[in-house]
Amino acid sequence: MAMRWDLLVLHPEDDVAVALRDLEAGEAIARCGEALAPLQLCAPVPLGHKVARHAIEPGQHVRKYGAVIGEATAPIAAGAHLHVHNMRSLRARKRGEEQQ
Amino acid sequence: MGIAPEFLGYPRADGSAGTRNRLLVLSILGLTGAGAQRIARQVPGALLVALPYGRGQFGEDRAMTRRMLIGLGRNPNAGAVLLVGADRQRLDIVAEGIMASGKRVEAIALDDVHEDSLALSDRGVRLAAALARDMSRARRVPLPASLLRLGTECGHSDATSGLGANPLAGLVADRLVDAGGAAVFGETMEWLGAEHVLAARAQTPEIGRAIVDAVAQRERWAAATGEDLTGNNPGAENIRGGLSSIEEKSLGAIAKGGSRPVQGVLPHAAPIPGPGLWVMEGPSFSPPSVTGFVAAGCNMTMFTTGPGNSYCDALAPTVKVTVNPKTAARLHHQIDFDGSGLMRGTREPEDAADALFAQLLDHASGTRTWGEVLDEGGYAFARLGADF
Repeated sequence: MAMRWDLLVLHPEDDVAVALRDLEAGEAIARCGEALAPLQLCAPVPLGHKVARHAIEPGQHVRKYGAVIGEATAPIAAGAHLHVHNMRSLRARKRGEEQQ
Repeated sequence: MGIAPEFLGYPRADGSAGTRNRLLVLSILGLTGAGAQRIARQVPGALLVALPYGRGQFGEDRAMTRRMLIGLGRNPNAGAVLLVGADRQRLDIVAEGIMASGKRVEAIALDDVHEDSLALSDRGVRLAAALARDMSRARRVPLPASLLRLGTECGHSDATSGLGANPLAGLVADRLVDAGGAAVFGETMEWLGAEHVLAARAQTPEIGRAIVDAVAQRERWAAATGEDLTGNNPGAENIRGGLSSIEEKSLGAIAKGGSRPVQGVLPHAAPIPGPGLWVMEGPSFSPPSVTGFVAAGCNMTMFTTGPGNSYCDALAPTVKVTVNPKTAARLHHQIDFDGSGLMRGTREPEDAADALFAQLLDHASGTRTWGEVLDEGGYAFARLGADF
């Protein structure tokens, strides 16, 4: 049977994998380059949403596409859904501080 | 490395290559659009492009319009050009700019026929017919892919765009750049938040600064109209689709340009100076954005979409790409390349990119895109200022 994966890691240095379809909590497979790796999802994740590949501390940068897309605002466990509830833009924050 | 990739194209006098051989009927003033349309209709295969304005323009706005007219005329997909206008002075400026490429140009002015639009189109049809007959002698020959100039664009995005379709287009742009060709992408406002990443990929620090400055300039223009481009970006629909920050959204957009060093920031519609990856300062809406690429010399365009988007360029064949499985299934007569295996988790990105690059060469060699079959091609002239 041909192999099938559920999430894609867009760059090998990324902290996140992205769901290729709506996924249930539990065991999933992430593709990173040539490699396939299991990832235990803590919660259901919709298509296009991110999952942490490893634990991330508050204030740590989050990388996707091999670049920083923001910083964690809360402790994020491996396999957790990563979105606006636990990360924020560095750019928008910088802009907000300039305006104050 | 295997053998150097090739396509079948029309060699042009200036060393460029046509992927099509169209007679371009180019109306350079809003007064002559109808007469030019009568001419184009009577010569099958002719393509009409009509500037809807052309007087009362000043400064950079006028310079950009001239660049677009001359650039569209010089585009290698036009085998010959019939210029239509009101006065000889403007026609001569555009004609000289186009003829510098060695291309055959004829021009007809309303002044030549004492402002008689019917006489204009009668004389114009005769000139166009002669051009069409002569340029039909051109033959396709094998040419290196290094002569391809590819504009990449995305229109009507969804969650699959930044995740699959744009990175796929980027892998194809990388393949073309590695083969010695050129790729360009634009939509300055979509670099916002990722301009530092693009700048870090610039060939020199000066180019990096030009990238950052281009975004800052558009932000100032927006601010002057009361718009704050970072405040509510990404929007609610983006957030539902999984995007958490402006950086993430923009990185997904610029992924369509690939990963090669940026050779320079081109003003809108300015000629592509050489091989490699270029970025073009310009509007984000697809019709004027893509027209800028084609005026810059692009002989092919690649257009990614999420839910679908029927817009194609009139002169440079547009290869429409989606990775959204529903879109690919629903829009059979719009989507040229179905990359939905990427979203199904059954197809590797590199494998899909090899197939899409091969298909790009096939379309460059003459296989028609759906947009060409259905005559969806359009164009739009961007502006930078008010009419006076």
